[in-house]
Amino acid sequence: MSNPIEVTELSRSFGNLRAVDSINLTVTSGEVFGFLGPNGAGKSTAVRMLTTLLKPTSGSARVAGFDVVGDPSAVRKKIGVALQDAAIDPLMTGNELLRLQCVLHGLPKRSSLKRCGDLLERVGLTAAGDRRVGTYSGGMRRRLDLALSLVHEPEVLFLDEPTTGLDPTSRMALWEEVRNLNKDLGTTVFLTTQYLEEADQLAERIAIIDDGKIVREGSPASLKSAVGAPTLRVDVSENDLPLARKAMSHFGEERPARRNRIAIGLVSGTTGITDVLKALDDAGVEIHHVELDEPSLDDVFADATGRRLEGGQV
Amino acid sequence: MLRQPQSWAPGLFFPLLLAAVYASQFSRAVTIEGFPFPNVSFLDFVLPACVIQGVLFGSTNSASDLAADIENSFMDRLLVSPVSRGSILLSRLASAFIYGVAQAAVLISIFVLFGANIAGGFSSIISIVLIAAMLSVSMGSFGIAVALRTGSQEVVQSTFPLIFVAVFVSSAFFPVQLMEGWYGAIARKNPLTWVIDPTRRMAIEGFSWADFGQSLGIVLVIASIGILISIRQLRRRLVRAQ
Repeated sequence: MSNPIEVTELSRSFGNLRAVDSINLTVTSGEVFGFLGPNGAGKSTAVRMLTTLLKPTSGSARVAGFDVVGDPSAVRKKIGVALQDAAIDPLMTGNELLRLQCVLHGLPKRSSLKRCGDLLERVGLTAAGDRRVGTYSGGMRRRLDLALSLVHEPEVLFLDEPTTGLDPTSRMALWEEVRNLNKDLGTTVFLTTQYLEEADQLAERIAIIDDGKIVREGSPASLKSAVGAPTLRVDVSENDLPLARKAMSHFGEERPARRNRIAIGLVSGTTGITDVLKALDDAGVEIHHVELDEPSLDDVFADATGRRLEGGQV
Repeated sequence: MLRQPQSWAPGLFFPLLLAAVYASQFSRAVTIEGFPFPNVSFLDFVLPACVIQGVLFGSTNSASDLAADIENSFMDRLLVSPVSRGSILLSRLASAFIYGVAQAAVLISIFVLFGANIAGGFSSIISIVLIAAMLSVSMGSFGIAVALRTGSQEVVQSTFPLIFVAVFVSSAFFPVQLMEGWYGAIARKNPLTWVIDPTRRMAIEGFSWADFGQSLGIVLVIASIGILISIRQLRRRLVRAQ
């Protein structure tokens, strides 16, 4: 079977602005793929092309095996889409909206009733199902939105900034939903986000987009380790400093550190920490404190673009 | 509907209020020399026009709803689902039709309650309702084109005064035979006059296929033009970036 998302040299211009500039992407089946970038980087434009809402200026994309330009209706049958702030009629109840969505996808009435009940349960809205959406909190709306995008059991799920504007608790609840449905149903998930933590927590693989171009691609861990070795800091008593310095020098270059502390760039990566601690123990050094600082996705972003991702916290 | 009365109630009360005002203020107009229908009450005279006016005022609703859908991205929700593009347009036109039927039926019933008399009986009533509903579709389709073009509720609603003026510069509330100067010249050329006059004859003098054919024909022509324009605008919107 072909990959659920295959993008070749995809571009979209608005006038003189190249919002998406020759991007290439492959997302494999069952993967959670994160598309990370600052506001205005071209994330939404890319998603709109992949979900058939926008025609590319050039290049091509295949989603769920179908070309988004050549056979958009086949694509639409296979994808679920939760768009950034796409409105839900506040006068309708969650249940009614789910039924409407079933009608839009042409599901038979009998099976759609059961499906709506199951989906409400999945996103934890069973009790609120008959309440008007106007009374829902932001987190509840996003979860309903997620349920709406799932009525037809899509192969590929697009989530455009699913947690923007949510409080941390609701955000984590939504992450859990996404993880579960990816695990339970094997749905391939393509999510865009401007939150470093979201990409880090949810996505197995990410692409960083800036100014319409993909500047980095890979698993969060590999991208981070590519930026540089994590910094290992060990606090020891003053008497032990020479011994500790000698023992640790085998594991990486020394980095500047405060008094009574030795810091090295741990070449072997995070997994090397036990070896270092063992060597220190063998040398008879008493360890007061250990900390390991991994490069963050923000460091990756900064390394790729020379800028920090605004508002991002890791 | 029941959850949001503000969306349909004004379309009902506004024309009724106007009708009440006209009926009380201008009722002696029928006694003016040269008035084409000397032996009818002014209420009978304005009935078809009030129905058409009421329906026209309501006709922007459907378009305005569509503009709202575009504004708040509900349209995107529809577009990423496998529903056909045409049905997005068709559903709006159907809603304009149903809305028109309902409004015309309610308005006629209220007029009859207040003593208006429809000479043509049942077939005239059905004709008036049908013509009014198709007129709602015609004007609705122009509104839909505007909605698709601009994606803005405000712009759609700003077409409302145009409809208002179009109704006034027609034979709706005064026979064109008695109008003079440029006002009369415009009113005589206003397609609404061509629709309202035969509709009125059906109400006052009785049903005739010729009158029915003329008014429905004109309405259908206007509707076809409007629908063609809105199909073009829908295509444009689907291709264009948003």
